[in-house]
Amino acid sequence: MGDGGGSNRNKPEWLQQYDLIGKIGEGTYGLVFLARIKSSSNRGKSIAIKKFKQSKDGDGVSPTAIREIMLLREITHENVVKLVNVHINHVDMSLYLAFDYAEHDLYEIIRHHRDKVNQSINQYTVKSLLWQLLNGLNYLHSNWIIHRDLKPSNILVMGEGEEHGVVKIADFGLARIYQAPLKPLSENGVVVTIWYRAPELLLGAKHYTSAVDMWAVGCIFAELLTLKPLFQGAEVKATPNPFQLDQLDKIFKVLGHPTLEKWPSLANLPHWQQDTQHIQAHKYDNTSLYSVVHLSPKSPAYDLLSKMLEYDPRKRITAAQALEHEYFKIEPQPGRNAFVPCQPGETFVNYPTRPVDTTTDFEGTTSMQSSQPVSSGAAVSGSMPGSHVSNRSVPRPMNVSGMQRIPHQAMQAYNLTSQAGMGGGMNPGGIPMQRGVPQQQLRRKDQMGMPGYPPPQKSRRI
Amino acid sequence: MADFLTSTHRAKWIFSPQQLDEKYRAANQRAKQILEKCGATLMEVDVDGSLSYPEPQITAKDGAEKHARTKSLSIEEEQCIRVFYENKLQEVCNNFRFPHKIQATALIYFKRFYLQWSVMEHQPKHIMLTCIYAACKIEENHVSAEELGKGISQDHQMILNNEMIVYQSLEFDLIVYAPYRSVEGFINDMEEFCNAGDDQLQMLKTLQMTARSEVDKMMLTDAPLLFPPGQLALAALYNSNAFHKVIDFDSYLGSMFSRQNSMHTISELFESLNAIDSLVRKYKVPSDKELKHINRKLKSCWGHSTHDESKKREKKSKHKSKKSSNEAQTMPSLV
Repeated sequence: MGDGGGSNRNKPEWLQQYDLIGKIGEGTYGLVFLARIKSSSNRGKSIAIKKFKQSKDGDGVSPTAIREIMLLREITHENVVKLVNVHINHVDMSLYLAFDYAEHDLYEIIRHHRDKVNQSINQYTVKSLLWQLLNGLNYLHSNWIIHRDLKPSNILVMGEGEEHGVVKIADFGLARIYQAPLKPLSENGVVVTIWYRAPELLLGAKHYTSAVDMWAVGCIFAELLTLKPLFQGAEVKATPNPFQLDQLDKIFKVLGHPTLEKWPSLANLPHWQQDTQHIQAHKYDNTSLYSVVHLSPKSPAYDLLSKMLEYDPRKRITAAQALEHEYFKIEPQPGRNAFVPCQPGETFVNYPTRPVDTTTDFEGTTSMQSSQPVSSGAAVSGSMPGSHVSNRSVPRPMNVSGMQRIPHQAMQAYNLTSQAGMGGGMNPGGIPMQRGVPQQQLRRKDQMGMPGYPPPQKSRRI
Repeated sequence: MADFLTSTHRAKWIFSPQQLDEKYRAANQRAKQILEKCGATLMEVDVDGSLSYPEPQITAKDGAEKHARTKSLSIEEEQCIRVFYENKLQEVCNNFRFPHKIQATALIYFKRFYLQWSVMEHQPKHIMLTCIYAACKIEENHVSAEELGKGISQDHQMILNNEMIVYQSLEFDLIVYAPYRSVEGFINDMEEFCNAGDDQLQMLKTLQMTARSEVDKMMLTDAPLLFPPGQLALAALYNSNAFHKVIDFDSYLGSMFSRQNSMHTISELFESLNAIDSLVRKYKVPSDKELKHINRKLKSCWGHSTHDESKKREKKSKHKSKKSSNEAQTMPSLV
């Protein structure tokens, strides 16, 4: 590897349009980097680049990456993260997804209030965050997409700029279209935080409905109010899909035991039926949700929350209904910039910028020459030029002496938004190609206004 | 998924007949030029996923001779090859008992792929299998490449080698709308329209079955690239109803139009239905003799037969050895 490996020296062309700042996240799927655009038209614009790990040998291109791309290609909404570009590293068949960068997320915001400023999030901000989250979710659900992995760290909020304080739902790696039967998460071999998991899933329901997302929103709402996870169960780690007794117990303790009267289809759920852990044994009666979240049982906020945390998924409030709830009609009313209330006088918090690990390069390898502390987030923001990172990213000329042929670019940009089409990505040999895409764009043969594409289920929850 | 009206399928992948001709012509033309320049047209997908055309023939005499011998495929001949492999694709999917949806998705991928490329550039057998593999992945019916390859006794590595180029050629627009669900939707609508009793419900079931096999036929033509799935479904139902005579189709369409603000008139719709019908009627599978002849030409375009075979074997043996990114990036490709 020496001075950081070949990645810097033979920097692929697509990478040269960015200044790499550093690593900002890591998950089972791979790594997320912060980068800035170099080109004059968008100079300095921040981009989050999600690098997907190569999938298992013999499995081809990562299905998670492909699924995320295919969904994001079809959807556009202010409260859903925007996919700007897809880059391919042909060397290891890995995919790099470029998104508009969001400086904040609910996980960091909640943590900041809990650990740093020691004060709850103001009501305007809570309400605006929740409203926008529901707004994005309503869009997804009306497009038959279930997110399946909503949690605070997946709910992003834009930093300073034109979209300051705007919520963006992110991470669609587990999202599914729900016309087709959905396989349980465990079958996909994916690990998901259990704290936001709906009770029907914990009890072994085989099929997902959009109601699982609403449960997660309820949990997130409560967490925004109290700054701690509502149902913080201890996860049973086993495969496949172990029964999460402690998580259910945490839920029952707060919401009371579910009953067949309130939730008739409970009887059909595998874990309830089998009752191997005696979950049917009635333990908790007193529901104390309002005291846990410090709300008056008569307040609209409590009313909305309890409707999101309804046991029976069929009775649980939908995103569309939630948006119409009285909570959003009373003062303070939700706004587009969740951080800065329209009415002056309200105090608001300045959130820290995201911590950036500037020691990690795109290959995920840590460079030897820098040993900056990882947590020095503030030091990174807005002071990039001159740092060692940009020095490193200067492409060095490649030694091609003696070679007649032009080295190909191992990575090719695939510009999705500009519809530049086949130009860059498809034509490594430099052969002139027809650029058909712009014309394709113009021609829109209209679908007849007819029930040509029916909703997947006739009996959709109203 | 989602909404067809806002889909990439509707926005980018439904063409006019002229646009379609233009695309086929352009791909054919490009392959022709490559053939003249290089003496062969097949692109190699290397282990690192990069693409390259064959090396140009440098020795003028040898090259000239070879070029004189090798003739490129005509647009019509390319069409025959695609038709052949689309039938093969259906066959493979049937053998694996994949759901209809997967077959339809794979077929649409295959068609879209060959809007960008000529069959002279990418072997349709490989692309066909890769399209099936990709469709399985997208439709959550994951089948490993190895399994798929085994099922038809093919080396699965070529599926994996081609996977990325397929996604790229599809511009990552991977959600496609097959007409089967639309048929279902119309049948539901018809049940309500004629307030169907048990007898009629049974007849509508028959209508649906026949319409589905009508759609199967359409999926082998260019129709899916020319018309939205709703119209394809309606055309299939129209034909099916002409046979079974279950409902009064004209008054059904009339009621449909009265219920919705359509951007089209009934006569425009009929024009589309007729056009779809004539595509199905004109469809023909090339004879074995024709295919044999075209295949021979195609193989010589690919440069199969001469020294290229040994080169190919050499490449294959490299498959397993993973090179470091550094090496692979500096590896030259051809321009």
